Amino acid sequence: MTRFSPSLIIRHLILLIGAVVVLAPFLVMLSYSLKSPAEIERGTGGLFGAQEMMVDPKCALRSAPRRADVEAARDRFPGRDDGAILATLTEEANAACELRPVVFNYRSAFQDAPLMRYLLNGVIVTASIFLLQMVIALPAAYALSKLKFWGREAVFGLVLFCLLIPVHAIALPLYLGLARIGLTNTYAALVVPWIVSAFGIFLMRQFFMTVPDDLVDAARMDGMSEFAIVWRVMLPTAIPALMAFAIFSVVAHWNDYFWPRIVVTGDRSLFTPPLGLREFQAGADGNLYGPMMATATVIVVPLIAAFMLAQRRFIEGITLSGMK
Amino acid sequence: MTATDTLPIAPPQRRRAVDADRRQAGAGWLMSAPALALMLTILIAPVLLAVVLSFTDYALGNPGFNWVGLENYERIFTRPTYAKMLGATFTYVLTVVPLSVGLGLGAALLIQSLSRGAGVYKAIYFLPVMATLLAMTIVWQLMLHPSIGVVNRGLEWVCAQPALEGLFSLSFLGLAPESTWFGRVCSQGTPLWLGDRDYAIWVVCFIGIWQGFGFNMVLYLAGLTGVSRDLYAAAEMDGARSGWERFRLVTWPALGPTTVFVVTITCIRAFQAFDTVEALFSPGGGPGKSAYVMMFAIYEKGVTQNLVGLGAAITVLFLVFVMILTLIQRWFTERKVHYA
Repeated sequence: MTRFSPSLIIRHLILLIGAVVVLAPFLVMLSYSLKSPAEIERGTGGLFGAQEMMVDPKCALRSAPRRADVEAARDRFPGRDDGAILATLTEEANAACELRPVVFNYRSAFQDAPLMRYLLNGVIVTASIFLLQMVIALPAAYALSKLKFWGREAVFGLVLFCLLIPVHAIALPLYLGLARIGLTNTYAALVVPWIVSAFGIFLMRQFFMTVPDDLVDAARMDGMSEFAIVWRVMLPTAIPALMAFAIFSVVAHWNDYFWPRIVVTGDRSLFTPPLGLREFQAGADGNLYGPMMATATVIVVPLIAAFMLAQRRFIEGITLSGMK
Repeated sequence: MTATDTLPIAPPQRRRAVDADRRQAGAGWLMSAPALALMLTILIAPVLLAVVLSFTDYALGNPGFNWVGLENYERIFTRPTYAKMLGATFTYVLTVVPLSVGLGLGAALLIQSLSRGAGVYKAIYFLPVMATLLAMTIVWQLMLHPSIGVVNRGLEWVCAQPALEGLFSLSFLGLAPESTWFGRVCSQGTPLWLGDRDYAIWVVCFIGIWQGFGFNMVLYLAGLTGVSRDLYAAAEMDGARSGWERFRLVTWPALGPTTVFVVTITCIRAFQAFDTVEALFSPGGGPGKSAYVMMFAIYEKGVTQNLVGLGAAITVLFLVFVMILTLIQRWFTERKVHYA
């Protein structure tokens, strides 16, 4: 067995070409988020940009010397005409507005739009969705797997049927319903359609089926109520499955754009990260590609970083739906 | 519970058992009630509502509505706009599904055959699945910018190298440069990509494939671990010597269940394409409506233009497609595409 057979080299070559295509947009995003507008325009600066000092155009505009400034500065420059004074003052103002492109891009990303607020909204929405999904799915899954009651099979049948309905597909009637009760442009609108996850119920039910009945019976003997059993006995056994579902849910809703686009119109304080980025794109002129890519990087990086740290869990979580 | 009922136990104990059963039933109902109620209101009711609204001319803000019968459906099947919608949707689905399934399988097979570096490729190919699609679409848009995008800059650079131009335009085979795509790019200028109706939908498809094939790869990698080594040994004894023979006789049949599942889920996801089209082609749906996919049509008609009846009819059509796909999947699964 040779270690470098031609077939192995060809396989690596194909996979490498694939990897370049897959990674290209990530590299461009990162690279543009570091470059100055001039470098983006000309296509220079390599991967990281030269990081030469540049003038922040907005700052320069703001601090551009006015008539009054020139009058006031006459004493500093005795014997020079107004044109020369204006030129010197402009130069001074520009010097005060100089900064590295990377600072310019990331500072603009956070200052030109309330990006911090968008990120916070993203966290609030994804966390509320996941928590509510659990509060509703865990007892139901427990009931469907460990409790005997009339109609159980019918409820489970309904869960299986609901698995087939993509929530995005019924977005229009959901939106109309929320609009009729005046809930559009609220956090509730962003969260509500997702709180009952047929998939979550199904998944946890399948998991609870594998938990031995003895464990539940022992807890009952100890006098625990059925609700206490869900939270104090079943939940701890289900942590791995729960983690996988958490990743599935958080990734899906952090990245979701369709639903927030529909129910949040105009009210920036409710924008989730993708909505904020979309607004940036809609208003972008040539100068703002750098800050726009910085915004994109800030939105994409948290999940990518988490993925790098816990690759196996992420792959398990996101392909969970592969276990249906 | 019937088991305990028929056991000959002393009356007090039996009463306790019956009480326990009753308590259990009560707890069961109490615990599944919230989920049940929410499933009915959030998932089932909207489906019914969509069906009802699709026969009306309702608009948000109007006090009432009129029944219009099949008018909305008639429009969908007669107006050119909706012919374009169905065309774009099916072009997208029929391009993205085979290619992202094929690439996912190919990547899985290649990666599985490696002893080193498998983890790195797997992680890289999975990155787009995790990344915010809207953000990455905007990056692709920038990369495909006609003048400052890296794609056209790259093409121009290649065109400026006579050796490479000759290679890619196949003129070294004696073909006229104008007869190949690459030759035309070099002589007539680089494509406009998103602004060109011949390219727009294919760019959307490309982004869909780029984003989704890593997901399929992971599912196939999981499927491949379930293929028994013995089967390969047996196939070899039966004379399957080449890699292709082993794939055709063992791997592909053993991956049957995985393939059925992967194709179904990819189809359903492909039907739901929205982010790319909205970010690149809103409003309108691209040059000549060439990328006017269904989800985008539901959004534009039903939400933006408040033509609720039409949006609802498209929603119903969409749900019918998803149901058909699921039925096909069921049929395949019940035929037991299972050899391993």
